[in-house]
Amino acid sequence: MDSPPFLRMSGVRKRYGGVTALDGADFEAHAGTVHAVLGPNGSGKSTLLKVLTGVVGPDAGQVRLDGAPLRPRGPRDTLAAGISSVYQELSLVEDFTVLDNLVLGVEPSRFGLRDRRAALARSLPWLERFAPAFGGRVPVRERVSDLDPGERQVVEVCKALVRDPRVLVLDEATASLRRGQVEVLFEVVDELRARGVLVLFITHRLAEIYAVCDRATVMRNGTDVATVTVAGTPEAELLELMSGRPSAGTSGSRRTAPVAETDTAPTAPARTDPGADPAAPPRLEVRDLTGDRLHGVSLHVRAGEVLGLGGLQGQGQSELMAALFGAGRRTGGTVLLDGAPVRPRSPKQAVRAGFCYVPGNRGVQGLALGRPILENLALPSVGRRALLGVGLSRRREVAAARAVAERVNTRYGSLDDPVSTLSGGNQQKIVVGKWFPTEPAVVLMDDPAKGIDVGAKAEMFDVVAELAASGAAVLVGSSDDRELVEVCDRVLVMFEGRVVDEVSGDRLTEDTLIASAMHVTGADVAAAHEGHPTRLPDPEPRHAEEGGA
Amino acid sequence: MNLLRGTGTRDLPGPVRSLLSVHMPALAVGLLLLVTVTASAILQPGFFSPYGLSASFATFLPLATIAAAQTIIVLGGGIDLSIGTIVTLSSAVSVVLMQGDDARLPLALAAGLATGAACGLFNGLVVAVLRLQPIVATFATSSVFGGVALLVLPTPGGEVSPVLTGTYRMVLAMYVPIPAVLLVVLFLSWRLLRGSRYGQHLYAVGGNAEAAYTSSVPVSRVRVLSYTLGGAVASLAGVALLADAGAGDPTLGTELTLGSIAALVIGGTRLRGGSGGVGGALVGAVVLSLIQGLVFFAGVPTNAREFVYGCVIIAAIALAGLLTARDGSASGASGGTR
Amino acid sequence: MTTTLTARRLTRDPVVISGVVTLLLWVVASLYSPAFATWGHIVTTLTVASFLGVIAIGQTLVIIAGGEGIDLSVGSAATLSAIVASRFMDGSDDGFLFAVLVALGSACVIGVVNGIGVLLFRVPPLVMTLGMIAVVAGFIRLYTGGRPEGSAAPLLNQLVTGDTVFGVPGVLWLWLALSVVVIWLLRRTSFGWRLYAVGANRTTAHLSGVNPSAVRFSAYVLSSLFAGVGGLLLLGYSQNVYTNLGADYMLNSVAAVVIGGTALIGGVGGYLGTIVGAVLLTVLSALLRTMQIGGGEWGTHRARSSSAWS
Repeated sequence: MDSPPFLRMSGVRKRYGGVTALDGADFEAHAGTVHAVLGPNGSGKSTLLKVLTGVVGPDAGQVRLDGAPLRPRGPRDTLAAGISSVYQELSLVEDFTVLDNLVLGVEPSRFGLRDRRAALARSLPWLERFAPAFGGRVPVRERVSDLDPGERQVVEVCKALVRDPRVLVLDEATASLRRGQVEVLFEVVDELRARGVLVLFITHRLAEIYAVCDRATVMRNGTDVATVTVAGTPEAELLELMSGRPSAGTSGSRRTAPVAETDTAPTAPARTDPGADPAAPPRLEVRDLTGDRLHGVSLHVRAGEVLGLGGLQGQGQSELMAALFGAGRRTGGTVLLDGAPVRPRSPKQAVRAGFCYVPGNRGVQGLALGRPILENLALPSVGRRALLGVGLSRRREVAAARAVAERVNTRYGSLDDPVSTLSGGNQQKIVVGKWFPTEPAVVLMDDPAKGIDVGAKAEMFDVVAELAASGAAVLVGSSDDRELVEVCDRVLVMFEGRVVDEVSGDRLTEDTLIASAMHVTGADVAAAHEGHPTRLPDPEPRHAEEGGA
Repeated sequence: MNLLRGTGTRDLPGPVRSLLSVHMPALAVGLLLLVTVTASAILQPGFFSPYGLSASFATFLPLATIAAAQTIIVLGGGIDLSIGTIVTLSSAVSVVLMQGDDARLPLALAAGLATGAACGLFNGLVVAVLRLQPIVATFATSSVFGGVALLVLPTPGGEVSPVLTGTYRMVLAMYVPIPAVLLVVLFLSWRLLRGSRYGQHLYAVGGNAEAAYTSSVPVSRVRVLSYTLGGAVASLAGVALLADAGAGDPTLGTELTLGSIAALVIGGTRLRGGSGGVGGALVGAVVLSLIQGLVFFAGVPTNAREFVYGCVIIAAIALAGLLTARDGSASGASGGTR
Repeated sequence: MTTTLTARRLTRDPVVISGVVTLLLWVVASLYSPAFATWGHIVTTLTVASFLGVIAIGQTLVIIAGGEGIDLSVGSAATLSAIVASRFMDGSDDGFLFAVLVALGSACVIGVVNGIGVLLFRVPPLVMTLGMIAVVAGFIRLYTGGRPEGSAAPLLNQLVTGDTVFGVPGVLWLWLALSVVVIWLLRRTSFGWRLYAVGANRTTAHLSGVNPSAVRFSAYVLSSLFAGVGGLLLLGYSQNVYTNLGADYMLNSVAAVVIGGTALIGGVGGYLGTIVGAVLLTVLSALLRTMQIGGGEWGTHRARSSSAWS
């Protein structure tokens, strides 16, 4: 590491309106290394990389690559400089084949026509290298729209590699990958390192950093705090650098707040009464439910109980909620609400029956972002307050919305402001709060705390507790075991469309959940990958941090 | 997050699904063509005679050419409601310069082509640089172009060069009318464009402009060029119209625009861009023209013809829509790219 | 602080911008030809604008409902309604209400077919409603044999052109009343709020217990209904009908909506903007006609039928 750094960013500043995203950040990295960039939400790491890739122009500061100053004005310039980025939001054209996507923008041509053979020659080696990540096939001619999210992410990686980069930016590139796919990616990253490529690696999973990175730069509050050698730095120290406070070690108990969560607010103190009366009849009972990815799910939730759905991601948790809410396919089985069978065929009927649904992907499924807070809060219940089902009184609507906003503790300027002006956490509270006036009997939450900061997360779960306390049966799906441990009374572990384990009481810890999910899959994983060494203690694709600064 | 997706073809293996989705529109329009040609051959006396073919292709070509022009624009994610008035304006310029004189033909054609390209360029700049909604922007420019066309040629008329009309009516080797040859030339030119890097970028910009941008495709340039190319091709349609009619007509505007959009939709091009092709639009235009002829020859009472024609077109469009609708198209979230 | 904020918000409000542009155009027109500044001319301009304004009501709803929503068949619906009404009225007040109902009913059929095509067959709205133009034109031809008969009931004529106060014709009061109803519909009814929600994010609306298809279907039917009302007003104004009475309103209604700040992506805007847009377009075309330039699409009924495709 005595050679001059291959990439040097110095004194980079960037303000968005009144918010300082980068406050004089410095960053150095050497060729032939894998360099992690770490930091909590809003620490500026996304902005730093956006400056590097030319998506954002810095207010001040310098970037030098291989000694030469770099002032990119867009993706074309960074590409010319040898920087390739794997984007979090996919940059693929769905209608195109994999091959066409790989060479998009850099199509080789002969006599003015695209040269398919040359394109294939450039792309095929990478696709073949990643074949295990595509389940053994080489999907040259398949359309991207026919691939699953993990495979698309792999195509995205190949696309960056086809550009033969000197610097490869992997921004949360592993977020939607399956375990086997991550392994192939890390093998390739090792090869790239050996060939002298600088790989910048952004992830939330510490385990991955230890698995593949040489050095790590920790960012906090828009500036770089420290750059360390990964091998010589224990996990506790990295966490300490990120949070800026001494760490107390990891713990899995529901009542003890885990370390990363101690950032701002205390976590969910509301749940003093753990669960409801075990003798009470179930509020919601599901028997042998089948449908998309559901192969006979049975469960029951009592009034006031918070039931978690854990396990690896994509084992039918989302499909279960969708099926219950009338938004997904349901081919068989019985659903009983307070003992009476219900079979909603649309969300509208489900809402009428007493269900409500809180998605994690709020921009797409939870909110009409351009509309006022008032309308978003009113949407599910607006018909109930209307005169003859039609006429609205503004005063009544405002009063109802105010009451909800207060209950979920949302801070807003005016109810007439678009809901997009709120912070992510407050937006998510609107997504939950809009259901209060419907007085739901069953609350379905699919990854409700996705991409919101720890403080807002804690408040979110206060709201969940309040809903449960009001007598609702709450079903929470989450890819974050820590969340489940904190908020649930019981957790069901799902695998391939079935419930395979139930964890509750003192057994309910993060370790048990991971073990349970792993235990189920251990044999299958081994069979699928023919004894590939398991390198990562965390088998599960965690959701990505949304947005960043 | 595929909560709302239909299931349809999901269970099929990937390559099969890809094949199906790519070829479905082609199958649909191919079927329509087969049906309409068969029906024409039965109902229309002398449909396959040299004269019949020549007359048919003479009516196909103008609409097919405009449809091709519109398709280029739509593929890139735009739409041009002024395309009909570009046709009339460029043909008005041509016919006024021509003055029925063969010697002035090259000049007149060049001027028409330049007019069309200039109008298209103007549209492209308005849409891509000023970022106005294509529907609104090109509607506004259509009244400008239409107004100018009326200034250039206030009433239908003008004299077309005899060489032009003569050539247009020629039939080669007994069965190959010149307009058919031109149709093939049009298609081959499109294949060349499609095979170029620009062709690929056009689809990428229409399919996912953001992805194209991050992949270093010059999005604005691609858009502007698509409108310019569209305008230039539209002016060729103007020439075909002149050759077919023997005179200019400054009032056709809107109808041609509507026809071009109907043809490309029947031909399987997605109105949001990024999927489809000129080949389908050409066939779509032929189908449209054939249906019009069929309604005439099928003995439909005069007053009912338009109605029947309209209904058949709606049915054709609905059929094309049903066959080309892929999962996700109806359930997508709000907004989209634009 | 708050005043500057309000001021900044106002200068960005498309309705305000369009309003200012309209006033500027009017001032320019008055300078060019002082007749523009007379009360009579203002009333005439507003009267001409009222037909566009009423026909654009439905266009506003459909565009707000999103999903590439647009209704190019409003002109056809207006024409059909006028032609049906004139035949049933045939210059007499007998059965006035019945004639109006039949006319509006026939217009609604267009909306129903549009809704079915868009929602069931998934035809893009632009294409579906474009295709409907041909169908309706064909139907009108079949229905009238190319020569529409009958004329407006005197009562209708009186309602539309009848002088109330200061030379203000009845149609302007009708427009005002309809405007109040539509603005109420959008701002103070559950339908209005759901319409915006569906337009802004269909998935969210669906998952909040709204039936987006029902909302969009209603928008298409209402669009044809209001276009039908516009057709009746046109009939009352001109007393006689012709087969492309409403043709000019097809794209001008879209333009009026968009000029008024209702975005084609849906979920944004309102009818107040459309009113301003309709007036702006009318002043602009009057000015252009006075200056004898353009004479493009708007205001000059073209001689040719706009029904054929090629």
